[in-house]
Amino acid sequence: MASLRKILIANRGEIALRLVRACRELGISPVAVYSDADRSALHVQHADEAYRLGPAPSVDSYLRGDRILEIARRCGADAVHPGYGFLSENADFAEACATAGITFIGPPAAAMRELGSKTRARAAADRARMPRTPGSVRGLASADEGLKIAKEIGYPVMLKAAAGGGGKGMRAIHRPEELASAFLSASDEALRAFGSGEVYLEKLIERPRHVEIQLLADQHGNVVYLGERECSVQRRHQKVIEEAPSAVVGPELRRRMGEAACRLAREAGYVNAGTVEFLVDEAQNFYFLEVNTRLQVEHAVTELVTGLDLVHLQIAVAEGKPLPFTQDEITLRGHAMEVRVYAEDPENGFLPSPGRIARLLRPGGPGIREDEGVYEGWEVPTEYDPMLSKLIAHAPDRAAAIARLGCAIDEYVIGGIRTNLKLLRRILDDADFQAARIDTGYLDRLLAKSAPESVDREQGSIAAAAIAAVLFTAPPAAPAMSKSQTPWQRDALQQGLCR
Amino acid sequence: MSPLSLEVEVDGVLRRLTLERGGEGWLAYMDGKSIAVDVCEPTPGVLSLLIGDSQAEDASSRSYRCVRVAFADEETITVGRHQHRVVVNDPRSLRGQRKRPGAGNGTLQIKASMPGRVARVLVAPGEAVAAHQGIVVVEAMKMQNELKAARDGRIVEVRVAAGDKVASGQVLAVLE
Repeated sequence: MASLRKILIANRGEIALRLVRACRELGISPVAVYSDADRSALHVQHADEAYRLGPAPSVDSYLRGDRILEIARRCGADAVHPGYGFLSENADFAEACATAGITFIGPPAAAMRELGSKTRARAAADRARMPRTPGSVRGLASADEGLKIAKEIGYPVMLKAAAGGGGKGMRAIHRPEELASAFLSASDEALRAFGSGEVYLEKLIERPRHVEIQLLADQHGNVVYLGERECSVQRRHQKVIEEAPSAVVGPELRRRMGEAACRLAREAGYVNAGTVEFLVDEAQNFYFLEVNTRLQVEHAVTELVTGLDLVHLQIAVAEGKPLPFTQDEITLRGHAMEVRVYAEDPENGFLPSPGRIARLLRPGGPGIREDEGVYEGWEVPTEYDPMLSKLIAHAPDRAAAIARLGCAIDEYVIGGIRTNLKLLRRILDDADFQAARIDTGYLDRLLAKSAPESVDREQGSIAAAAIAAVLFTAPPAAPAMSKSQTPWQRDALQQGLCR
Repeated sequence: MSPLSLEVEVDGVLRRLTLERGGEGWLAYMDGKSIAVDVCEPTPGVLSLLIGDSQAEDASSRSYRCVRVAFADEETITVGRHQHRVVVNDPRSLRGQRKRPGAGNGTLQIKASMPGRVARVLVAPGEAVAAHQGIVVVEAMKMQNELKAARDGRIVEVRVAAGDKVASGQVLAVLE
């Protein structure tokens, strides 16, 4: 298969910029698309070509697969990279790309369909001899069928949408009486959110950790796993902090989870990068959760501990090249941790906080990576996910990574809009988090406690703020800053040349 | 040049600050202390302050990066990892120009800026108050902070009594 020369990036925000850069590094011409809200976005500025998709709402822009393919054809792109979200897990779009003779950088549509449905994926997991939560492998025909299965596997149980994601169509059920009405509401919610009301039932794992395996498969039957990521710090099923490796996964568990994930990929005919998500219980049993058939938001932590570039590898795989390494050649080095920086106000019910970024001072230093999608002066639109950037630290061990990431958060100043930076700092400071005593309920429990007042809110900082406030807002009549004049200006002033 | 004397509210606590030229930099007087300040503005909206205690024998010089950030209705100064809400009351140059939180119509909540204990309540519901009049005194970290009315108004509600423990951000009284 020929090398790709021009890739259309069907996404926005930080991932679009990350993909633009990856293309450029490989000598491939990056093409951006944008909605009316994103005309001045960073990914547009950095691309070689950029084309308008339509009005701001996603359904009129980034979800318009037909428009995207038409643009790809018109500009001569030979591939489309969907990033994450939007069209990335849309099998119909992947198929339309193939039909149009444009390479979709991701798995084949058939594998996406097989693993994108949670019930079909559970059946595939059984064929791949992968542990999964007890429960149904088909959609429930009725609430009665659910009651029967729940009685067999024992309460509490979970109802889940087969086509689901993001917590929609999900219900935890602790008693049989709750099942009938939960079945109706979950099914209804799933129908409205995903166009399919299919729900299934599984045993609820108590206090689970979320651990996922990064997979990479080429078109020649080679499948490898690139270690795991732990993403147990979540709020409403949205990940907030991700890290690699997981504190509870040792070499033996990693090998067992990794090999199970590879078997599933082979079973489904999977190609390109993908992620198999698991729940790990307190006894370190692991249970298959679902497959994400795309690049993940948190792929950067895997890149840092493996030293690999997943986007470069995705492109190589799409070009038909064999994987350049075997499983034995993959080594993990140090610890990487990522925080997702959101434009939202944790002190006000996590309300999104769109608006103009009036001030942006970025952190730096060794081992700090920022995948950013915004700049000072940029107006954060209201239409999309409020993630602004990802801040990632890499260090020799977990404690050092936490310290490094904490310092980077302290250096990071985002003004004009509310962000979750302070909450992220609070999590990194938390003793339970530092001891890796986390599970998917951890963040909710932390948020239920009142925030500790920072101990070193010292007088010096208050005095500095007071003095700075005066100098900023009411500068005295004399020159305000001792260093605001250049030596030439001072000389000129003395010589009466200017005032 | 004559010293400049201003009222600055930091995190809801009103402080009097006097600034005058001194040596190479500035001399500030605040909370009964004299502070030597060296200032430069590396980039607009960012101040680098070197602050020392001018009365100390071994003059230490602590460094602070102060970043000015305006949110919708308030001014914030980020100092290191801390964010401080600030309002400068300058009767001379800022008369009526600055938009201040709660100015104008509607009610204004007077909140505790840090956890502490209510030392005294200085007003009663229904009482008319003038701007800068003390409302509640909160003791925290062995310091008594008088929380003042940011504008003229009438007290509609007092939610705490002397001796109460209060959390940061807790509403102490409501002004109308």
